[in-house]
Amino acid sequence: MSTSKSALPHRLRQRAAILRALRRFLDDEGLVEVQPPLLVPSPALEANLDAVPAGGRWLHTSPEFHLKRLVAGGLHRVYSVVPCFRAEEHGRHHRREFTLLELYVTNARYDDLIPLVTGLVAAAAHAVGVPAPVFRQVTVAELFGGTVPQDDDSFYRAWVERVDPALGNPTFVLDYPARQAALAQLRGPVAERLEVYLGGLELGNGFSELRDGAELRERFAESGRQRRSCGKEPHPVDEGLIDATARLPRCAGIAIGVDRLVMALTGVDDIAEVVVEADETP
Amino acid sequence: MSSYYETADFRNGLKIEVDGIPYAIVYFQFVKPGKGTAFTRTKLKNMLNGTVIERTYRSGETVLAADIEETPVEFLYEVQGVYTFMNQESFEQIELPGDAVGDEKRFLQENLQCSILFWKGKAMNVSLPNFVEDVVEYAEPAVAGNTSTGATKAARLRCGAEIAVPLFIKEGDMLKIDTRDGSYVSRVNK
Repeated sequence: MSTSKSALPHRLRQRAAILRALRRFLDDEGLVEVQPPLLVPSPALEANLDAVPAGGRWLHTSPEFHLKRLVAGGLHRVYSVVPCFRAEEHGRHHRREFTLLELYVTNARYDDLIPLVTGLVAAAAHAVGVPAPVFRQVTVAELFGGTVPQDDDSFYRAWVERVDPALGNPTFVLDYPARQAALAQLRGPVAERLEVYLGGLELGNGFSELRDGAELRERFAESGRQRRSCGKEPHPVDEGLIDATARLPRCAGIAIGVDRLVMALTGVDDIAEVVVEADETP
Repeated sequence: MSSYYETADFRNGLKIEVDGIPYAIVYFQFVKPGKGTAFTRTKLKNMLNGTVIERTYRSGETVLAADIEETPVEFLYEVQGVYTFMNQESFEQIELPGDAVGDEKRFLQENLQCSILFWKGKAMNVSLPNFVEDVVEYAEPAVAGNTSTGATKAARLRCGAEIAVPLFIKEGDMLKIDTRDGSYVSRVNK
């Protein structure tokens, strides 16, 4: 779009203001900013995440595995703002290369993330002169009217066709099916997992973090089975993460897409308008 | 032989066959719900009747390519409800009954460049240019005193079509008309 290119300098100033506000807010909350490694031996747990290979390793799909090592090692309030890489993801709301703000706080459950993220987004909104969003809370079961589809394929199809288009207002969605726990703790049939939506965009995903190393090993195995069944290589099991998970204090963490946060707060619907992109060809 | 597209091939204007009907992709978006599988959300325009439907495809799913072809033609003449065109590539003549030509046929005039959509080798409909020019053959006289803005009167064009025009239009004026909705656009200076 021709309009997006001419608006880019303005959007990048707004993006810089938002980034400053995010960091100031988290620094004031006592979180420590760190730079996790981007080149890693094990890029992800989830079966549906595909990593970009680089230099005999992988570009990370999120900083989760190394931030958790730090939390287990005694850095109890920690965050990073880093580029992440996911192969095959490209569209108005997706890029292979994008920026994640990921944070962890101890002595917290997933629902303790709600006031923290609400404050964080309010600070970012203030930085660009828009009102702080007022979030509602709803469970996955409520969104589906009580009957949550049992298999993943019908769940995600219904999500894309019916549920997601109705999430236009600022919303925290809580309590996902246990099958979709990723690295969250379970509570009965649900995972203590939440997602935050703003401006119709899925902004972030948070958990009460799993602290059971054996359970994590089983989830790596299950993800590997799913990947093999659709002809993909399983992700390598991250032994350092299994060790760190077993030593984790009670904690919660969330990853927020910075590009999408900027989009939501500045009212644009194409990620191309808020990021600096490489040329298609040299 | 049928050919297929994958979701990664989707782009606006791509013609695909769904449930035995040819559609053109008019909107597509990559979507991937948190921790979920990837999909492509689409809006598809029915190439036979213009209605738009929404479809969601799993990434990697294949769809049938529509066996559809658009051929440039020139309108020659109409005799007793049969419309004759000349294929601008092969110079063959193509005869179509009025119902295959569609509503836009009222704006057809000799030597007008159009295109015919062939679906599995059969002519389905004729697309006119979005705008055509034609001469006013008859216009009602303006009613004195009626000066309200936007007031219109009926006029008949040389091609035979009747359209609503502003009050100042006179017989012999050359007009620009939007063939998609049959509306008056402007008077053209001769």
